[in-house]
Amino acid sequence: MKPIRLTLRPVFAVALTALSLSALAQSVASTDSLTRALSPAVVTADQVSQQQVTNPLEAINGRVAGVTIQKSNNGAAAMNAVRVRGTTSVTGGNDPLIIIDGVFGDLNTLSSIYPSDIQSFTVLKDASETAQYGSRGASGVIEVVTKKGAAHRATVTYNGSVGFTSVVRNLNMLDAAGYRASVKGVGDMLIDKGYDTNWQQAIQQTAFLQDHHVAFMGGGDRSDYRVSLGYMDHEGVILHDRMRNLTSSMNMHQRMFGNLLTIEVGMFGNVQKDLTAVYDVQKTFYSAQAWNPTFGTARNSGGGWDGFTYANQINHPMALMDSRTQGKTTHLSTHAKLTFDLTPHWTLALFGAYSHNEVETSQFLPTSIWSGGKGYRSSAKTESWLGTATLTWDKTMGPHHLNVMGLAEIERDIHQGFYTTTTGFSSNAIGIDAIQSGAVTLWDGTGSYRNAPSIASFMMRLSYDFGKRYSLTATMRADGTSKFAHGNKWGYFPSLSASWNIANEAFLRDVDWLDDLKWSAGYGLAGNLGGVDSYRVQNLLTPAGVVPVGQNLAVSLDALFNANPDLKWEVKRSFNTGLSAALMGNRIIASIDFYTAKTIDMLYLYNVGVPPFSYNKLLDNLGSMRNSGVELAMGFTPLARRDMELNINANVACQSNKLLSLSGYYKDYWLEAPGEVDLVNLNGAGFHGGNNHIVYQMVGQPLGVFYLPHCTGLKSDGNGGYVYDIADLDGSGDINIANGKDRRVCGQAMPKVLLGSNINYRFKQWDVAIQINGAFGHKIYNGTALTYMNMNSLPGYNVLAAAPERNIQDQTATDYWLERGDYVEIDYLTLGWNVPLGEQARRVISKLRLAFTVDHLATITGYSGLTPMINSSSVGPTLGVDDKNVYPVTRSYYLGVNITF
Amino acid sequence: MINRHILSYSLLLALSLLLGACDKFLEDDPTDRLPADEAYSTLSDLRLNALGAIYRNIGGSSDSQGLQGTARGVWDLNTFSTDEAIIPTRGADWYDGGIWQNLFLHRFGNVDFTGDTWNYLFKEVLACNRALERIGEYAAAHPTEDVTLLKAEARALRAMFLFYAMDLYGRVPLFTSSNPAVQDIQLQPRSVTFKHIVSELQDVEYDLTNERSSQLGEYYGRVTRPVVQFLLAKVLLNAEVYADDDWTDGEHPDGAAMMWPVDGERLNTWQAVETYCGKIEASGYVLADDFADNFSISNEESPELIFTIPMDIYNYSNRFTQQFRSLHYNHAAALGLNGENGPCATIEAMRTFGYGTDDVDYRLGLTYYVDEVYAEKSFTPVTLDDGSPLVYYPMQVALDVSNTAWEKTAGARMHKYEIDLAAMSDGQLRRNDLVLFRLADVLLMHCEALLRDGRPGAEADGLLNRVRDRAHMEPRTATLDLVLEERMLELAWEGWRRNDLIRYGQFTRSYTDRPQLEADVKGYTLVFPIPGETLTACGSEQNPGY
Repeated sequence: MKPIRLTLRPVFAVALTALSLSALAQSVASTDSLTRALSPAVVTADQVSQQQVTNPLEAINGRVAGVTIQKSNNGAAAMNAVRVRGTTSVTGGNDPLIIIDGVFGDLNTLSSIYPSDIQSFTVLKDASETAQYGSRGASGVIEVVTKKGAAHRATVTYNGSVGFTSVVRNLNMLDAAGYRASVKGVGDMLIDKGYDTNWQQAIQQTAFLQDHHVAFMGGGDRSDYRVSLGYMDHEGVILHDRMRNLTSSMNMHQRMFGNLLTIEVGMFGNVQKDLTAVYDVQKTFYSAQAWNPTFGTARNSGGGWDGFTYANQINHPMALMDSRTQGKTTHLSTHAKLTFDLTPHWTLALFGAYSHNEVETSQFLPTSIWSGGKGYRSSAKTESWLGTATLTWDKTMGPHHLNVMGLAEIERDIHQGFYTTTTGFSSNAIGIDAIQSGAVTLWDGTGSYRNAPSIASFMMRLSYDFGKRYSLTATMRADGTSKFAHGNKWGYFPSLSASWNIANEAFLRDVDWLDDLKWSAGYGLAGNLGGVDSYRVQNLLTPAGVVPVGQNLAVSLDALFNANPDLKWEVKRSFNTGLSAALMGNRIIASIDFYTAKTIDMLYLYNVGVPPFSYNKLLDNLGSMRNSGVELAMGFTPLARRDMELNINANVACQSNKLLSLSGYYKDYWLEAPGEVDLVNLNGAGFHGGNNHIVYQMVGQPLGVFYLPHCTGLKSDGNGGYVYDIADLDGSGDINIANGKDRRVCGQAMPKVLLGSNINYRFKQWDVAIQINGAFGHKIYNGTALTYMNMNSLPGYNVLAAAPERNIQDQTATDYWLERGDYVEIDYLTLGWNVPLGEQARRVISKLRLAFTVDHLATITGYSGLTPMINSSSVGPTLGVDDKNVYPVTRSYYLGVNITF
Repeated sequence: MINRHILSYSLLLALSLLLGACDKFLEDDPTDRLPADEAYSTLSDLRLNALGAIYRNIGGSSDSQGLQGTARGVWDLNTFSTDEAIIPTRGADWYDGGIWQNLFLHRFGNVDFTGDTWNYLFKEVLACNRALERIGEYAAAHPTEDVTLLKAEARALRAMFLFYAMDLYGRVPLFTSSNPAVQDIQLQPRSVTFKHIVSELQDVEYDLTNERSSQLGEYYGRVTRPVVQFLLAKVLLNAEVYADDDWTDGEHPDGAAMMWPVDGERLNTWQAVETYCGKIEASGYVLADDFADNFSISNEESPELIFTIPMDIYNYSNRFTQQFRSLHYNHAAALGLNGENGPCATIEAMRTFGYGTDDVDYRLGLTYYVDEVYAEKSFTPVTLDDGSPLVYYPMQVALDVSNTAWEKTAGARMHKYEIDLAAMSDGQLRRNDLVLFRLADVLLMHCEALLRDGRPGAEADGLLNRVRDRAHMEPRTATLDLVLEERMLELAWEGWRRNDLIRYGQFTRSYTDRPQLEADVKGYTLVFPIPGETLTACGSEQNPGY
């Protein structure tokens, strides 16, 4: 399926896209604008504005098959994890590339754009589509086009919304009475301060949010502009949590020298301020769930917080709320593009962009929660320079259409920063703004760094189209990186794609009910740097620590990891084919796509022997992994009348993943990952090390599988309590739950099937939109229940209200708490009203719309924990495991207004 | 209309310019780190970056790093696998996936940090090899400069790390490159490594100065001659163990029959130990007046210490977690520290110290906290959260004390080191230098060597009783068993217990809460398993029994 975008003004499509490559692709592809409008890989401005989204990524959530968007948590400044067609690299580089008006960005940049400024999203998934972006696009590309000015019409629009978010579900822990009874019941020491506090609620608030956005646009014959200002203020449901973001963007175009030159200049800037008292997500929720409920929320007579020493892994929840972590992100990006339409066939485009991103972090942890207190400040800056030159030759000769493009591109990113930490605070009276009130600055608490990796690329592409029926595109791309050594710097990534527009064939021309039918296929290679840092190939020394030298002290330099001079590009070879059709006057559109991708030379951090290596980890290009899947997208418009319209869209993505190999030779040495490599472990009291590994990486299995002892049920421990009865899976006669012994693979952490569906119904001026998402086929380890069902944790740690009855006195991690993770979620429901305007009003206001939205309306699941919407997509220390680190379940309500003058 | 030729030529020109510029553009120019060949160009750089990198890691700041002070490393393996110390499961605390129970019960296959500890030790061996290569390169470029001392230090350090590795794992590779080939890292029989360590240490003994390493000054924290002599005595004292390549057959060679060249003479093992101990005693080391002086905040002044890990709150990152892990939460809090309420002394240790009897060892209170405890230098009893006094119950310790009245209070806790009220980072950054080698150990080794050589009598008694006398204890007639007992009293929690028990053939016996494992009696648990990655790399077999 070709990537195609709906632009409200197709005339401008070519000229207005900063990197016009995709626009060119479009000109080669079908010109059937209706199919474009209905293309499932595109989300348009109309769709964005229909829901009062506050984060642009939420606008595509569930809309595009094969795209997974998962919010990392429910904090006000939470980041999303986005995966396009799953995880193809185990070391990194799985985030899709974000292109905003041709400028490379990341998920962070995208989150800071005001949704109302976005014209469209286009998701590129196939190798031939992403080829134009090279290695950075290996994990998929989300192209974002922001809105542009319109000629001959000066308009001002205002978008605004106000609303609130509140907690709808917390864990049901023992209340004070239940806690007292249970502690006495097991004969433990009861510390009873006489209160009855629900700590989860004590650290929560109703969060208010407001958004305002004004855009001015206009233009004349030869130029146009658009300027916008936006402000967001979102509180989070945990006390003090707040995110504020001020954005500003400007875009203008001008034509010069007849039609020879089009100049585009754009600038985007934002300042985002985050404030939170959650410095450690697990510690915060673990404390709020397990703290002794007989304690009170007020400070003690000394002005501090009462301690409870038996619970030394957690803190008084109100003491945690005294901590402050502030973030300030300042982003500025600017780009300019000169397009020379040299002849009717030759076009030269020169594009340059610069962006500057600075993240300042300040943190203060008072002495009540951090020994000696902690003051921390840091600044991390990234400057990015990008230059691209594109030369295109385009000619139509009868039924033949040929388009040849050459591209050269260079990019350099300069990362630098510093940080400093102080401790030894004698008072908590002064915090973040004078960290020198801490007496001690430890050697390893201060530092600075700089690195400046660069990438150079060349690309050649040839597209041929015959009679608007057959088209073929061949691309050759070379990417060079500074991160690898000579000989491995360059990677070469060809791709080929073909499509057949069957509907345009003579034999189908008379079939009235068939509007469009197209088959396409592609094969290609894409390179990935897999999140490799600079300097991994060189033997370089960094300051490593202080040693005494005679009477003095000196800093000793040392290499702190194994350099691997042979590192090279990780390559993803992918094949895709698909069929799309539009029927009955575009009332029914459907597409099916199949893809399979094999990652080879896969970058993987091996555990290696010491000796021969100096350190026990080595990053090397060994191993392979396969991802494959089928994506189905359907759209129906059963009703389309003047007063009434109903659209139903649904997409289903089935994805599977298999780790094929994690072994090979590095020089003379055979490297092989052990049969079971643990990825995710439990944390908390009594969970430090040992057999607490839950999610593993195993060759022959999907990335992230549960590998656990099998519990056949509860058995009596002989003293009235119950323990997990573990099966002797290996038949050895005794129970040994070490790897390779009494354990088995019992499910995967990533969903096998993802569902997205949205239904829109319009009746006259009223409309309703509902978005439903779902995920199936995966499991979740309920480590939270394992922890809080263990009666042995009393009195230090509170337990679930259900715990005393079951009386489990064991916290061995078995499959007892492994549950199905399937869910269906009503992501949002929006009710909109396009206010009918009288003659008088229309002179001033051309459009007025009011909308009411409920986010996270309901979740249907069999999972017994707080929510099944945990991290089930990114490989990291939380994958598939719910372990006392889940934000409470929330629901948001807001009212929006959209006025166009 | 623009001429097409001009256009294509200029395109070609632009492309070739770009390609030429590309190579330069794709070069990394690191500014926050230094290429390896620029960091060893002067003698002082060599000392700092080649040797300093090794010294920096004798202590550690994270798990499994460092010879002592950190968790889950050399010290834990040598301590919590013995009859000296135990980490009981305390309700939700200290279960940790069964790791501590498995360590105490000798189920070493289920103790994951055996691999991390190996990686630490061999990381250091490789750092020594690298240092020697750098020193060699420097010496070749500067033939007039004297690098003898630097070389001797690096070789002595390498022998020391190999000693710890051989002691823990039995079979280890011997190699001299920092980038060894497959054939260089084959696991050697223990006896080969043993002889190699002895000859390396003997080779460098006289290249080193006879200075004190434990005291501030030029040689503070460095390997000097007495450190090497201590290592020689220690390694040779265990000759019967280390010369044995099959530790599961119940037999071992005879130390008295093994002969060693020492300063031109040929001595049997015990005479060699006697000689090296004598050299240290002759260098002016004396027992500190007070046992506690060795563990005080200013213990670098103790005349008894031979080798320590220098500690400093502000500058070094070396941690001291033993006390932090052991003390009850409220006890640590009363001292201004943090505690994790875990490790404690075993019932066997308490019996040896005479806890609860009329015959209590003077060192009990200096080594352990028992019964009621007080905030340092005050008479305020430490209380629990409910206001009742905190009482440690030394004899209630068990493998799992969950759901007992002494779940949080069972077991005597580690004292030994003076509490540093100025400690940082939860009490883990301290000023007390960590004691690795000291004279009391030398005297007891000396005494043991005489007894093993069949020479009981006044000299042996004198050595034992110098240690006992300093501890205000009655003199005894030295026997091998009493030396072992004295070692538990004098050297408690100093990381030698496993070594001592193996030498005495008592490591695999059963004791309270530790039934003998079925195959343990054959002795396979005398060494730990070798990490799988190393076996894959060198293609060797695992140690028997694992």
